Amino acid sequence: MDIRQATIDDFLGMQNANLLNLPENYTFKYYLYHALTWPELSYVAVDPRGRIVGYILAKMEEEPTDEPSGHVTSISVLRPYRRLGLANRLMKQSQEAMVAHYNAAQITLHVRKSNRAAISLYRDSLGFEVHVMEKGYYADGEDAYGMRFLFKRKDEESKAST
Amino acid sequence: MSNIPKHRQLPDKENRLFKELLTQYEYKQYKKGLKAADTILKKFPNHGETIALKALTLHSSLPFPMTVAGLTKQEEAESLARLAVKKDITSHITWHVLGILAKTRKDWDEATRAFAMARKQDSENIPLMRDSIALYLHTRQFSQAVAARHQHLLLRPTLRSSWTSLIIAHHLNGDMTEGIEVYDQYLGIVKNDGATSSEKAQLLMHIITMCMEAGQWDDALRRLENGLKDGVLSTRGQVTQLKAEILMQLGRESESEDVWRALIEQNPDNLSYYDGFLRTKGYEIRKSVTLDSTSKIVSLLNSFAESYPKALAPRRMCLDIARGDEFRDLARAYLVNGLEKAIPSLFVDVKGLYVDLERMKIVGEIVEDLIQTLEKDAGLHDDDSKAPPTALLWAYYFLALHLAHPAHPNPSYDRSLQLLSTALKHTPTLPEIYMAEAMVRKRAGDILGAAKAMEEARLLDGQDRFLNCKAAKYWLRVGEVAKAEELTAMFTKKDIATSQDLTDLQCLWFLQEEGDSYRANGNLGMALKRYQSLATTFQDYEDDQYDFHTYCLRRMTFSAYYSLMKYEDQLRSHPAYFKASLAAINIYTRLHDDPSLKEEKLTAEEEAERKKAAKKAQKAEQKARKAAAATGEGKKEDQPVPDEDPQGSKLLKTETPLDEALKLWKPLELLASSRIETWTTGYQIYIRKKLYLAAFKCLLQAHDIDPRDPNLHWEIIHFKQTVSAVPDLAEPVKMTTDQLLPSLIPSDADLAAYNANLLSQHSSSPAHILGAAKGLSELDTTRPIPSSSLQAIESTLSRLAAHDVPPSVAIMSSALKLMKELGAPISSIDSLRDTYKSRVPLASVFESDEELKRRRREALEGEEVANGVKPDL
Ligand SMILES: CC(C)(COP(=O)(O)OP(=O)(O)OC[C@H]1O[C@@H](n2cnc3c(N)ncnc32)[C@H](O)[C@@H]1OP(=O)(O)O)[C@@H](O)C(=O)NCCC(=O)NCCS
Repeated sequence: MDIRQATIDDFLGMQNANLLNLPENYTFKYYLYHALTWPELSYVAVDPRGRIVGYILAKMEEEPTDEPSGHVTSISVLRPYRRLGLANRLMKQSQEAMVAHYNAAQITLHVRKSNRAAISLYRDSLGFEVHVMEKGYYADGEDAYGMRFLFKRKDEESKAST
Repeated sequence: MSNIPKHRQLPDKENRLFKELLTQYEYKQYKKGLKAADTILKKFPNHGETIALKALTLHSSLPFPMTVAGLTKQEEAESLARLAVKKDITSHITWHVLGILAKTRKDWDEATRAFAMARKQDSENIPLMRDSIALYLHTRQFSQAVAARHQHLLLRPTLRSSWTSLIIAHHLNGDMTEGIEVYDQYLGIVKNDGATSSEKAQLLMHIITMCMEAGQWDDALRRLENGLKDGVLSTRGQVTQLKAEILMQLGRESESEDVWRALIEQNPDNLSYYDGFLRTKGYEIRKSVTLDSTSKIVSLLNSFAESYPKALAPRRMCLDIARGDEFRDLARAYLVNGLEKAIPSLFVDVKGLYVDLERMKIVGEIVEDLIQTLEKDAGLHDDDSKAPPTALLWAYYFLALHLAHPAHPNPSYDRSLQLLSTALKHTPTLPEIYMAEAMVRKRAGDILGAAKAMEEARLLDGQDRFLNCKAAKYWLRVGEVAKAEELTAMFTKKDIATSQDLTDLQCLWFLQEEGDSYRANGNLGMALKRYQSLATTFQDYEDDQYDFHTYCLRRMTFSAYYSLMKYEDQLRSHPAYFKASLAAINIYTRLHDDPSLKEEKLTAEEEAERKKAAKKAQKAEQKARKAAAATGEGKKEDQPVPDEDPQGSKLLKTETPLDEALKLWKPLELLASSRIETWTTGYQIYIRKKLYLAAFKCLLQAHDIDPRDPNLHWEIIHFKQTVSAVPDLAEPVKMTTDQLLPSLIPSDADLAAYNANLLSQHSSSPAHILGAAKGLSELDTTRPIPSSSLQAIESTLSRLAAHDVPPSVAIMSSALKLMKELGAPISSIDSLRDTYKSRVPLASVFESDEELKRRRREALEGEEVANGVKPDL
């Protein structure tokens, strides 16, 4: 499975995967908004026949904040392709891009309280932490965890290594 | 002031009102605005600009979602806008309003014309100019866009966007050099443009790609390296990839190699990085790999696998490259690793290799061997380590899918099912096993059993939308629309119909599958409705780009914008559009052939069901109305506009089915010209329109793609027969066909021999067998077809069950349909069906109608019992 930055012609495949995997869906224009504002941040996993089997749709926070903050709008992998490490890789690529291109200090996302697979991915594999609980965040009334990961700053990193 | 034409002048009082009207519009005080407009119009009913502003105000106050009352107002606004232009044809306001209304209607051509007219009247009006440019870009009138951009720059030379927009306009107009020149001037003139660093990076990146497109490699590299040096560009991702490519173009392979290595370091799972790296070594792995270079490539890839132990790509790529014993060893290690780690996706990962039958065979042998070892409870490694118990489970699962894969020359569905039931004994609650069973049953033609199995999978993990969608899709495949919608509704909005929500959300798979389901059930109206919704969705995708013509200039995301423009130009080459169009065109041609299909023929049972559904809908509507009344929104004209054609009957009753078909087909002609079905389908439309030259052109195009295509084959015979039966064939047609038809079919050929030839050359291809049978049915044009011909057709079709022919349930079904269409006696249809059934015993489609009904009822009832313990959602 190829992991690469999404190009415009990947976003319909992304929309398709999103509609198959998750109840939170968006019309195409919202995907275009991501693609045409932060072209470096969304990534796809592609099978040998060119089909999108996993994706991360990501953005930067538009509201002015102290420090640039990345946000995952949606991430999912088609069921037959799960547990292959795709989501993990997609996330890492997007994170790197947020730091490199937008100088992001952190990345945030929302996840259903009941979504064990995703929580385990974010917390155990990727080191996110829950920073807020949002009651009734989802359309069906389920609560969300707001999760967050703070990026190591380059200067901190170099300080740590010297 | 004196140059205001007489008909536009207003006395002071009205003039004041007019100015107020403008402000009221701006502040969205529509009611006040309308009143002011009416006051002016009472005295000056012919004042064009007031009429225009009234139209605009009325139009802006329209409700969303549109209501019944809103529709009337919308019509009024439209006709006022047109009237306004008539009354004052030299006013920029009247044209501007006409343009705005056309734009919201998404009538881009009219909008473009109206804005151009408005600009003529007021050439320095900047907002007008901006809209007008966006429309030029939208309608791909690039030279006009460039001209307008020049003018904009003259008026606003210090504005960053004046420059950057001109650059991109030049680029779209195909003039890279001019664009790059403007960029360099801009750097000299606008020193501090206020762009953020990422905006600067976006612009510079785009300039670099323009240089590359213009073949100015040195220049591109210089700009790129300066950008990196100045800290404008980040080395992550695309910049570095461009650098690697530029270096390659400049023949600096070893430098390029280092850059590709750096990219692999960034993302060791990006296949194109490895491709690029290998290109610097002279290997074009996507084209061809010579036998003696495979080992070298494999060892290069292996060294990456060692450097990046977590990366999947280099190991997997080795399998694409290696051959023979080397392949066997690598594949074994890969499979053992996957099975021991219990990776469910191992099969979907490996099946990419099956484009090569040799590799497929080896994979099968390895897995058989691993199963034997595991069943003996032995380890899979040379040491005495033991495999985890799940390894055997996943090996069964793998082999089951392997044996049922469509590329498998000898699929063995029975064995697959056996393996899966053994696996189930190990772990009865794993949805994957049921999904695999569903897949195997589907391939074996047992679509009912497949739906049941997928439903089992779904019930094991009710929270997973993927399983829910799959189960819904499988129910649709057996024609159970209601059951499918019951499932999809679990994940869609509760206050509207699930099909409506999925349409609003542009869910293409659902529209296609439900359309197919309706089509198979004979509900052609609803089928057309779904297919047309899918086509409309593509129109929406196209229209979506409009806002980005201005948005991207503001965000400075030029490269992304440029690719959007290119993408939209070929949007309808998308397979989803292709598939839905062909399906709809097929219905339209049938409607043309048999207009009686437009009248629905319902069985008593269906009639009763339809009535029940209508009653239910009526009740729901009443309930909704009552609820609305309670909140004071009960008036009929305030209701949202209802679906004009809820059953698709308007679509079905079209007077011009072939024109509708042609509308869907036209984009394919342009964008899917390399697919043979485009032409074989185009033929079906044109021959019915009696446009013989156009029909013939389709055949010629198809012939260029694949002269032995089975559909093309019988269409050629059909064409020859058709034109030779036309008494007064137009001279140009006659001349062209006389001249060119022989290149498709030898003119003096005995047609029967021509047909027999196809069969003997492709005697084990199901599609060709069907094509030859259809050819036979075209050879004998007498109708009803004489029994001697029918017998020949039947005997050809019975070959589909022969043991040297891979069984294809879909083609067998088409064969039975052909027999029916030709009016074959029931007895011979039944006997053919029995022949097929004995070849594919699992295929439920070949059961008798009663048996099918019984099984279907059983499947659904089984569901109801199971649904008693529906998992929470
Ligand atoms: C959540 C999801 C994106 C994970 O995708 P994936 O490609 O299978 O995840 P990965 O293979 O990269 O898994 C990485 C790690 O996440 C954790 N994880 C993933 N799936 C898990 C599961 N079902 N149960 C427990 N942990 C799981 C594991 O720690 C795993 O590491 P491991 O395989 O080495 O044990 C995928 O399950 C999915 O698409 N689910 C449906 C949509 C969804 O819920 N999206 C998230 C919305 S916020």
